[in-house]
Amino acid sequence: MSAYLVSILTEGSIFGIMALGLNVIWGWAGDFDLAYYGYVAIGAYMTLVLTIGPPVPPAEFILGLQLPYPVAVAGAVATSMAVGLVVGLIALRHLRGIYFSIVTLGAVYVMYVMAGQYVRLFDGYNGLSGLFDPMGDWFGFDYQTYQYFFLGLSLVCFVLVFLFMARISSSRFGMALRTLREDERAAAAFGRDIYRLKLKGYVLGAGIGGFAGALFAAYLSAFNPSAWSPVEVIVLYSAVLVGGRGNIRGVALGVLIMGVLVQESTRFLPQIPNHPQVVLALRGAIIGLVLVLFLRFRPQGLLPERRYIDREPAVEPAPQAT
Amino acid sequence: MSIPAVATALEVRGLSKHFGGVYAVENCSFQAPLGQVTGLIGPNGAGKSTAIDLISGFKLPDAGTILFKGRELEGLPPHRISRLGLVRTFQAPREWPALTVIENVVMARWDARRESFFQGVFGLGRGQRAAAAEERTRAREIISELGLDAVRNERAGSLSGGQKRLVEFARIRMAQPELVILDEPMGGVNPVMGERMAKAIEGFIATGTSVIVVEHNLPFIERVTQHVIVMAQGTVIAEGPFESLRSSQAVVDAYLGEVVSDGKA
Amino acid sequence: MHEALLTLGFGIVTAAILALSAVAFTLEYGVTNVANVSHGEILTVSAYAAYVVHQRTGSAVAAALAAALAGGLVALAMYLSVIGPFIRFGATPTVIFIATLGVSFIIQNFLVIGFGAENVAYTIDPGAPQNIGPFLLTPLDERIVLSAAAITLALYFVVSRTKFGKALRAVSQNRELARVTGINATRVAAATFFLAGLIAGYAGFVLAESVGTFNPYFGFSFFLITLTASVAGGLGRPFGTVAGAVMVGIILEFAGNYISASYNLAFAFAILAIVILVRPRGLFTNARRTVFE
Repeated sequence: MSAYLVSILTEGSIFGIMALGLNVIWGWAGDFDLAYYGYVAIGAYMTLVLTIGPPVPPAEFILGLQLPYPVAVAGAVATSMAVGLVVGLIALRHLRGIYFSIVTLGAVYVMYVMAGQYVRLFDGYNGLSGLFDPMGDWFGFDYQTYQYFFLGLSLVCFVLVFLFMARISSSRFGMALRTLREDERAAAAFGRDIYRLKLKGYVLGAGIGGFAGALFAAYLSAFNPSAWSPVEVIVLYSAVLVGGRGNIRGVALGVLIMGVLVQESTRFLPQIPNHPQVVLALRGAIIGLVLVLFLRFRPQGLLPERRYIDREPAVEPAPQAT
Repeated sequence: MSIPAVATALEVRGLSKHFGGVYAVENCSFQAPLGQVTGLIGPNGAGKSTAIDLISGFKLPDAGTILFKGRELEGLPPHRISRLGLVRTFQAPREWPALTVIENVVMARWDARRESFFQGVFGLGRGQRAAAAEERTRAREIISELGLDAVRNERAGSLSGGQKRLVEFARIRMAQPELVILDEPMGGVNPVMGERMAKAIEGFIATGTSVIVVEHNLPFIERVTQHVIVMAQGTVIAEGPFESLRSSQAVVDAYLGEVVSDGKA
Repeated sequence: MHEALLTLGFGIVTAAILALSAVAFTLEYGVTNVANVSHGEILTVSAYAAYVVHQRTGSAVAAALAAALAGGLVALAMYLSVIGPFIRFGATPTVIFIATLGVSFIIQNFLVIGFGAENVAYTIDPGAPQNIGPFLLTPLDERIVLSAAAITLALYFVVSRTKFGKALRAVSQNRELARVTGINATRVAAATFFLAGLIAGYAGFVLAESVGTFNPYFGFSFFLITLTASVAGGLGRPFGTVAGAVMVGIILEFAGNYISASYNLAFAFAILAIVILVRPRGLFTNARRTVFE
């Protein structure tokens, strides 16, 4: 397997986990959350400050512990969920629609600015680096083999998250989330505490984003403000929308199409000297275009949400006393 | 006019709500008897929908008391009121469009344990599965009774207006509240469905749910109610059985204003 | 005290630019009920247009005109190709919001393809600062404030006195009703977008030259502050927006004295979040809100 294919599949798995988390917040609960990529970033940053050890001056960042990778991942997920809880508590209480989206956009920009400007947090624009081959030393892999190991790890994580999402989707909790998306007032009229339920979904989504971020940090072995931008959440949204909002298979399909195919289709373009960003920008433009087209012509995505088909024979109504 | 000593399903006292200086509901008081269908009628702008919003927690009253099962409801959020056993519908059908009819009905009952995150996700025990199966069976029975069996697995959003109303009724039967408030159930429904809806409402009473119906369709009110409350300009102006109201001057005056503005004699 | 007044003076310049951008955004919102997230890109494209024209002709005036025209055309294109069709198709405001976010992304990326992602330096000699009353402003600052005031006044005249303005107000208040009275809502909306684009385009030119550099993303960052001003003033109400812009511009300038200016964006959002949470209909209205009311 070529190194290129390995990296595409690894990235695809991580991206898939991100998209599944976003699907909880937007696909199921129905909230167009623009802060989502912030939770991914927090997951990445926290994983790094929990594994790369104390800062070497003049670099500055918080914590700087050297914990085993799985422990750091748990810490990263917990932090993402905590931040998600704070944002959700504020934004979900009274806001819906574009006001909600705008406030979450504000929240993520605050995170972005803080990460870049407040040097003491994550060393500002320098960012953090040094997470090399986490868990590789447990098994004594060399560099080559480690790439396969990490690919396997990412795929396994994706499958686990996918199965988890499948369980939630068919559970009553998942259906309750969807009633919020479908009609909030009716949900409240039938006993659902909207605020609490949305919060639970939001924090869950944020946690999954943080988990993806933790894997992302290990994949990149570093993280800084140029590795992420709040606007890139659009790429995630296009994956979820194109594949089929609410349908986890659809989300996986969307990741395949947007993440992998778009990447592939522009791979063959020549790199223009002095302008390395052109190919990236072209990909971005295509993704944006696909998003708008799908919104207009196929907003339900390629795979519509699954419905539970009740195959039992019809039941005769119980005899009624007249 | 005093109501004979019958148990009340709901009592409203002195309910008031104003919007920017205009009183939508002003000092409104009434009682809805237990085990009966009570109509709530009145011309447009009488404050009926606002009153329902206030009772069901979707709006906060400025003043007044709402008594239900011995508890005061003012200030409680809608989901708490619903969990106490008071369910309402809305002027437009509010089904969950992407969910199928049977999913709509099954989800009508709030199940605290099974909807919590941990139980919902990890609760796969036999007790849970038995409860789920029993629930589905009950849903199927209700769906059959209301004649929706053919569209059981269709997405609720694709149904006709009358069918959507019946789905809402199925949800109410599933939830088995002590009181249901129906906000203009005949709105947007083909009149030929009127008898089916009336039978469904009788089904509510038979299964222990008291009913308050807000309606403009007066023949329908005559058909289903035992007791009628008339509102105009934010307050109650008359109440009693439907026939008695026909001869009430107050009621005629209230509606006359509306009829004149319609251009009819 | 003297220092506070100086800051106030600078705040007024910021507010002037902000007011132009915010008024344009509010016009777009008023006539379609859509928050056009790609509004910032109107400024960005106009800045590039101004830069290119200035390089070719050496004339700031030509650059300003090019910026305005580019802005008008871009805004019109946004309406005709995306926003208008989505409205006709019956999409909800949230869906159109998402679509305009997509458009924003597309335009940013096309600009990167065309001009690269690097900062472009664009300076015009501001002239020596002079004392104007208690403030210290350069001739450039004066021109900015005066032109912003002139444009706002002209806009006021158009909106309140002309036939077009009347149609604009009708469509903003109630599209269906306006249609019934014979107004071609689509044409009014398109013309409004063109007008808003002219103003926003000029704002882009002014912003680029007063900051001194720009890149494909600069309009989007400024848009976030624009949004704050618009929401503070009340979405859809152009003249409340001007008040909102003045307020936000001055607050930001003062905040910039105590917190590093690079936190501007975060600070603006803090203001925005507070406004939305406390008074989402704007600071100058009376409306209360809960999730259901």
